[in-house]
Amino acid sequence: MNRNMKIAFRFPALCVAAFALWLSPHFPVAAQTERKPATAMAASNGSPAAVPPSGRAGNAPASSLDIRIPLRDKSVRFAVIGDSGTGERSQYEVAQQMEAYWQATRFEFVLMLGDNIYGGHSPRDFARKFEQPYKELLDSGVKFYASLGNHDDPNTERLYKPFNMNGERYYAFRKGDVAFFALDSNYMDPSQLNWLDQNLKNSQGAWKICFFHHPLYNDGRHHGSDVDLRTQVLPLFQRYGVNAVFSGHEHVYQRIKPENNIYYFVLGNSGKLMTHDFGPPGERVKGFDSDQSFMLVEISGDKLYFQTISRSGETIDSGELERNSETHTH
Amino acid sequence: MNLLACSRRVSAGLLSLFLWASSAAQLSNDAAAVKDFQARISRYLALQKQQAVPNQSTSSPGKLAEQEQTRAEKTREARPAARQGDIFTPEIAAYFKKQIAVTMRGPDGAKVRASLRHAEPLPDIHLQVNRKYPSELPLQSTPPTLLMNLPRLPGELQYRVVGSTLVLYDVLSGLVVDLIPAAVPAQ
Repeated sequence: MNRNMKIAFRFPALCVAAFALWLSPHFPVAAQTERKPATAMAASNGSPAAVPPSGRAGNAPASSLDIRIPLRDKSVRFAVIGDSGTGERSQYEVAQQMEAYWQATRFEFVLMLGDNIYGGHSPRDFARKFEQPYKELLDSGVKFYASLGNHDDPNTERLYKPFNMNGERYYAFRKGDVAFFALDSNYMDPSQLNWLDQNLKNSQGAWKICFFHHPLYNDGRHHGSDVDLRTQVLPLFQRYGVNAVFSGHEHVYQRIKPENNIYYFVLGNSGKLMTHDFGPPGERVKGFDSDQSFMLVEISGDKLYFQTISRSGETIDSGELERNSETHTH
Repeated sequence: MNLLACSRRVSAGLLSLFLWASSAAQLSNDAAAVKDFQARISRYLALQKQQAVPNQSTSSPGKLAEQEQTRAEKTREARPAARQGDIFTPEIAAYFKKQIAVTMRGPDGAKVRASLRHAEPLPDIHLQVNRKYPSELPLQSTPPTLLMNLPRLPGELQYRVVGSTLVLYDVLSGLVVDLIPAAVPAQ
């Protein structure tokens, strides 16, 4: 076979492969293998919990999922994603892991830490960067609560019903004993600071959790900490006993050293990724910058359990945090 | 008391009086600039409200895009001759530039500059008054300390920094209402 013939034979195969690669983020089902029923090891009692089979394919380990949250009765259980809205294959793969873990943990809702839709905000963008990747979760009734990042359109996204922002740039909601405060860190004007002051002061939540885009503490080299934002909001967090803060923006995962009994997580790699982003350890206790990830969180009584899972299904961090107390990690 | 000492005291007194008078005049000019700015903002909002129905929440991104576009078109049509300086008049722009410079030089200046650097700063791009801010470009966050030192805005409008330009941004329509070039010192 001469060289030209080889190219002629290979060209259609290359075209098919390229087409399949292009197709996979648009129609992710096509790119995946069938998932078998999985088994979850529930950390609360150590016994395997049956995981119902999913109707949709996923790339989680077929035999078992590594579940490190206790799945207690009446707990508040949610997932967290940040900087997710790329519409690229990696976002879909993280979404498939989330779906697999939802089958096992039945988390009720998802916090979005901003940059929910990168680039344009046309109907096609909303479909490709949000509705399609999380279709199974949305169809199953999982709610998404968005905060705004610098790549988000503050007008369209706050009015987009599946983001549950009720037309507001910043808002609060309550789940069980946990009060959540979604802030707009792009524009922390005096009105929002007054709103935050009043709402934190009046909150009856045993746990107070704030989530927003720009991190107050951040070891990543690309953006760093937003010290000006920290100067404005931290006194309120401390005065009114905020327990945990979730932010994105830096395209990595970080668990930050607790400061004044407040736990900080940075999760800006559920779609975007900035590899080799860390300098020498500074603020972080744990960092992960080699793949995309999302978080599972469960709050029960005075404990917050967390598990951070990579795109490939590996648990990269987990632990339990006590309200206003010491940190115990695995 | 000799004549020299007396003359020095009188000079010092006159100088203090002069400084006080210029400072009072400056404060009065600043107050007038802020008042004028607020009046222009009120007129803009009144005009905008006449033109468009409030945007509604919906699950349809198509409807969201449509209502933002409609609002932008109606607002644009209501200000067909809008140009740079309609709201940021030279006097108001001078006041804003001074406030920004004072903030950047003040005790929180380093934090404000760091905040701007860490917020994915954009280069100076060509923006036009009464045109839409490019939806594919990020909107850089505005440092909170800077916002504290600028006149407050109603929720429909925001100050945004694009390169060295301060932009008055209409959140509901995505329009650039007005801008002040070279308002923010280089980082």
